[in-house]
Amino acid sequence: MTKESRKPLVVDCHALVGSGKTWADPARVVDYDLNLLLERGAEAGIDRYCVMPPRNETYAEANRQVARICEKQAGKFIGFAAHSPQREAGRLRQMLTEEVKSMGLRGVRSDGHPTREFLDAALELSIPVMYYPMPSRGQGVGRFFHMPAMAYPKVNFILPHLGQYRSLNWTAHMEALDLARRYPNVYVDTSGVGSFKYLEMAVRELPSERILFGTSAPELDPRVEKEALRLMKLPPDSYANVAGRNILRLLGRQPA
Amino acid sequence: MKTTEAYSRRNFLIGAGVAAAAAAGQAEQAHKVPVIDCHTHAGTGTTLTDPWTTYCDAEEIVRRNKEAGIDKACIFPINHDTFEEANREIAQIVKRYPGRFIGYAKHDPENEKGRIRPMLLRECRELGLRGLKLHVTPTPEVLDTVAELGIPVLWHPSPSVATFEEVARAYPMIDFILAHLGSDLSADWREHAAGIEAAKRCPNVYLDTGATVLSRYIEQAVKEVGPQKVIYGSDEPEVDCRLEIFKVRVLKLPKQQEEMILGGNMLRLLSKYKGGAA
Repeated sequence: MTKESRKPLVVDCHALVGSGKTWADPARVVDYDLNLLLERGAEAGIDRYCVMPPRNETYAEANRQVARICEKQAGKFIGFAAHSPQREAGRLRQMLTEEVKSMGLRGVRSDGHPTREFLDAALELSIPVMYYPMPSRGQGVGRFFHMPAMAYPKVNFILPHLGQYRSLNWTAHMEALDLARRYPNVYVDTSGVGSFKYLEMAVRELPSERILFGTSAPELDPRVEKEALRLMKLPPDSYANVAGRNILRLLGRQPA
Repeated sequence: MKTTEAYSRRNFLIGAGVAAAAAAGQAEQAHKVPVIDCHTHAGTGTTLTDPWTTYCDAEEIVRRNKEAGIDKACIFPINHDTFEEANREIAQIVKRYPGRFIGYAKHDPENEKGRIRPMLLRECRELGLRGLKLHVTPTPEVLDTVAELGIPVLWHPSPSVATFEEVARAYPMIDFILAHLGSDLSADWREHAAGIEAAKRCPNVYLDTGATVLSRYIEQAVKEVGPQKVIYGSDEPEVDCRLEIFKVRVLKLPKQQEEMILGGNMLRLLSKYKGGAA
């Protein structure tokens, strides 16, 4: 029996480090508490974290900060860059290539709708793209996700929050499930879903390979997010997929 | 009203655990304080536009309550234009699950203007309901009746915490529970902060923890306002009680403080009922 089969690795695909403004509320300035993330994450039994910066105007410095933090937490943190496809247009390939090849970052979060320039760079570097379109009330995520997912079948997309942070618009969760069913390169993460029944729905309706455990910690409490994972009551193999195996697979390869 | 729907005060006291609260006070909590969810919707909606206008299955709520170790839940209708029929359905659900639920009425101060006092008196005295849920700013007609009955008000923070606080100040004899700690699903963290400040300033303002996604504000409320002003709630069935109660338990508070939040405070408010039976 391997170690993993005894105790599946728990990898948070969506944690935050560094300073900037919160993704959900551009008016709120944050400098995330690394110790709080590590303490509460340890209490929750989280082994590794994919960490990314909060919102910034441009991301060269924020990504360097992420890389520095990852270096200090070697083995525990996997760094994601973030970029604005609009505000950093024309420089994305060069910046992202350096961040991946020289600084060791392994994924990218898109701050704004991803463009061809952005996705070409992600494709070339074989890194997953996290993209949350921040739909307003009554506006679905599908409108934003269909074209990138269709046009770039070899890029793996992570749609955080099962399509809607805090469940403010329940229909966005339903759309997220539809997107994951339709596109083999769309994955949903479990972080910050206010209405747990949609996570139960995801577990019923999607293959476990398409769901990624995430926390949005330390913005949210990783212990609460991990409790949601427990309450999903997944069979052992599916649990291992959602808890960590899926994100590690995404970080290691292109879509099937 | 059908006679089979009548709910005597004595039956309610047994069912809702208010008698237990009085006994607990005398016997210095010789018995376990029941765990009460102060915020649960139940019953049938008619417009079918959203989950909260369609149906809330009491059976499913009881199943999750049991799994979470919740003894009782305060239940009230989902969205309607008027609530007489929906409140009757709440009383029926309370009766169908003996000991599991404490029924609240809900009313629309505008749509039911001029009829609220007789309706609410009847709903408390004859149907055994013991609180009022509000989604909009109440009128004096509503609040005078609530004060007469001595029932708590659970108010969804609409339009704002500031409005809530103004009303709470005007009616200091009424216990107001601020739903969602001021902001449903933490849509605006500023309203959480405002809710905590309101609870500090107003002795009759309590904070419901339900559907607070940014759960650090629950932690902040307990620290800054004190456990005697924080009341566990979930917003079932849209929000899962098992996860919501975990947000309180994970704080690892001293037992007595946790008991206050998970049931003791709610029992204290319910025990102020002075509406009498039919």
